[in-house]
Amino acid sequence: MTFVLPIGPQHPALKEPEFFRFEVKGEEIVDVDIHLGYAHRGIEEALSRRNYKHNIYLSERICGICNVVHTTTYCQAVEQLAGVEPPERAKYIRAIIMELERIHSHLLWLGIAAFQIGFNTLFMLAWRDREYVMDLREMISGSRVHSATNTIGGVRRDVKTEHVPTILRGLEKLERSTKYYINLFGSDRTILARCTNLGVLSKKDAIKFCAVGPLARASDVKTDIRADDPYGAYDALSFNVVIEREGDVLAKGMVRLREILESIRIVRQALKEMPGGPIRTRVGLQMPPNETVERTEAPRGELLYYIRSNGTDTPERVRVRTPTYGNFASMKSMFVGGTVAEIPIVMWGIDPCFGCNDRVTLVDSRTGKTRIVSFDELRRRRK
Amino acid sequence: MMEVVDFVINSLVFPGLLFVSLVGLLYVGIDRKVTGHMQHRIGPPIWQEYLDMGKLLSKEDITPSAAQSFVFNIVPLVSLGAIVAVMLFLPVTSAQPALISVADLIVIIYLLNIPAICVMLGGYSSGSPFGASGAGRYVVQLLSYEFVFILAIIAVVARVGSLSLGTVVVYQAQQGWLVLDWRLLPAAIAALIAAQGKLLRVPFDIPEAESEIVHGALTEYSGPKLAIWRLAYDIETIVVAGLLVALFFGGPTTYVIGGTQIPGVVDFLIKTLAIVLLTTTLRNIMARLRIDQALKFYWSFAALLAIISLVLVLAVP
Repeated sequence: MTFVLPIGPQHPALKEPEFFRFEVKGEEIVDVDIHLGYAHRGIEEALSRRNYKHNIYLSERICGICNVVHTTTYCQAVEQLAGVEPPERAKYIRAIIMELERIHSHLLWLGIAAFQIGFNTLFMLAWRDREYVMDLREMISGSRVHSATNTIGGVRRDVKTEHVPTILRGLEKLERSTKYYINLFGSDRTILARCTNLGVLSKKDAIKFCAVGPLARASDVKTDIRADDPYGAYDALSFNVVIEREGDVLAKGMVRLREILESIRIVRQALKEMPGGPIRTRVGLQMPPNETVERTEAPRGELLYYIRSNGTDTPERVRVRTPTYGNFASMKSMFVGGTVAEIPIVMWGIDPCFGCNDRVTLVDSRTGKTRIVSFDELRRRRK
Repeated sequence: MMEVVDFVINSLVFPGLLFVSLVGLLYVGIDRKVTGHMQHRIGPPIWQEYLDMGKLLSKEDITPSAAQSFVFNIVPLVSLGAIVAVMLFLPVTSAQPALISVADLIVIIYLLNIPAICVMLGGYSSGSPFGASGAGRYVVQLLSYEFVFILAIIAVVARVGSLSLGTVVVYQAQQGWLVLDWRLLPAAIAALIAAQGKLLRVPFDIPEAESEIVHGALTEYSGPKLAIWRLAYDIETIVVAGLLVALFFGGPTTYVIGGTQIPGVVDFLIKTLAIVLLTTTLRNIMARLRIDQALKFYWSFAALLAIISLVLVLAVP
């Protein structure tokens, strides 16, 4: 006999509201049903009502953790619509801020993952080290979280020469602590007991369910938009695409931790090779009718923006596909067959960001039941 | 008449409720402060537990409608009573405990299990899936650590040849601490591991794993009832530490330093604090195990340690 274990919408293992309906047989998970849409804020509709400049502000608010990558993708897409190329220096500054964001996002992941397995000391230490990178971001952009660096046609703030030594010192500290965490993650007995052979996503399933980002890379799928389809300054920067073979939670953590080291390398190289010159080209807001798709590698995986313009200063449609949405399909194969105690850490293994994810799913809560209605159905109901 | 007054003072003031509450709350406050520093935080002040207790006691007493039952309301008090009663059997000032019985170790083992059973009853009667799940895990955990704990105690009993804790302390005063006896060292380690599980500390905080099952069996408790649970838990910390001190670390000893006599209770407090800090360190350097892993660990590694000790005590005179 199976019974239903509801996880969410409010649950300590979830940092944001989302509903997972687990069917369990004793401790074993038989099935999982994912109900999305609890954090729906109507952002895509809002994006098509404001002009291109105002939308930068809004796209930055789609995700609190990976906001720079959202604005970068948005700005790159609009630049493509306008047929403008940002100056080289702006591309490098974008890359620096995005990589700092990746470091902060992965350290945040490490902290919460440690909390999920009850290792509160590691949680606190990881977040202490995350403060270094937050300070660097504040120094460069003036803000810890929402950096507001990007604008259409370039960036708004330059990286000052006198900041470079401080950034390099901060990166050194980060490198030291990251190496320590890699060592710890691979050798601590209790961490190994909680993370190995859990939530395994096989290479076959990762390809079948189109997993993206660190989740796919932990399952031996070499996919990274930065390398596959370089954007901005990335074709001039050299880095390795980190992959692991096992596909379990440990591998997912290792991929993220090793990516921090790669990001540190990228920032160092970018700081060294950054050309001089202007940081911004002026772009008019009237976009000719056109459409464009822009992809970038967010800390959680592939981020996709689709924008259609219609000759005015507001986009006709903006569609955002965030990495968490791409990874939900893989969830079932990771959960089924596992036990209830694994739910928090396996769920955190995909680094879910529900705030980014919930923009298009429609939820009918009138009947008290959560169900997703299709657009046609909704139109019929309106009549 | 004097006996009754003595008994009342013993159970309510020293070493009973008042003394042990003050010390227990302080120790958990120290534990939280040390944890804070180990985690690179400032941590709460060491008197934070008193403030928390006052806050909880002053809150409204809410019982969820699904949990309206006699059992749900009474178990915190039973748990507190049982754990304070253990204190009367522990040697605190000298080898002689406040209440003397022939085989007090057996009574202590029984009394120490009552809080655990109360937590389970509270969890099952709370009408919450998290409570039931936490209680279920607690059952498994109790079955894991209790066996090891009892085996370690039996090893000591076999060495000393008495079921009275007072005699164990007197024996150690003459022969030296039992933890220094190579035959009993494995048993001491096993008892410390069992204490870690008894006190629900990482890696064995499985029944109240907050990221999995909120607060386990105590999820539905709030206000004064939760305050009593917290008090019982904090007292359990010092009681278990005190039992370990009496069993392996010589119990309370009086010293004479520079002509002044230091009473045994000071020694007791120092030794229990050392044990509490040891468990604090352990809980800050590990991740939580799964319940099946904990069960396996206790019944293989920890039980093996205790059995080795018992065999050594019986085989090597």
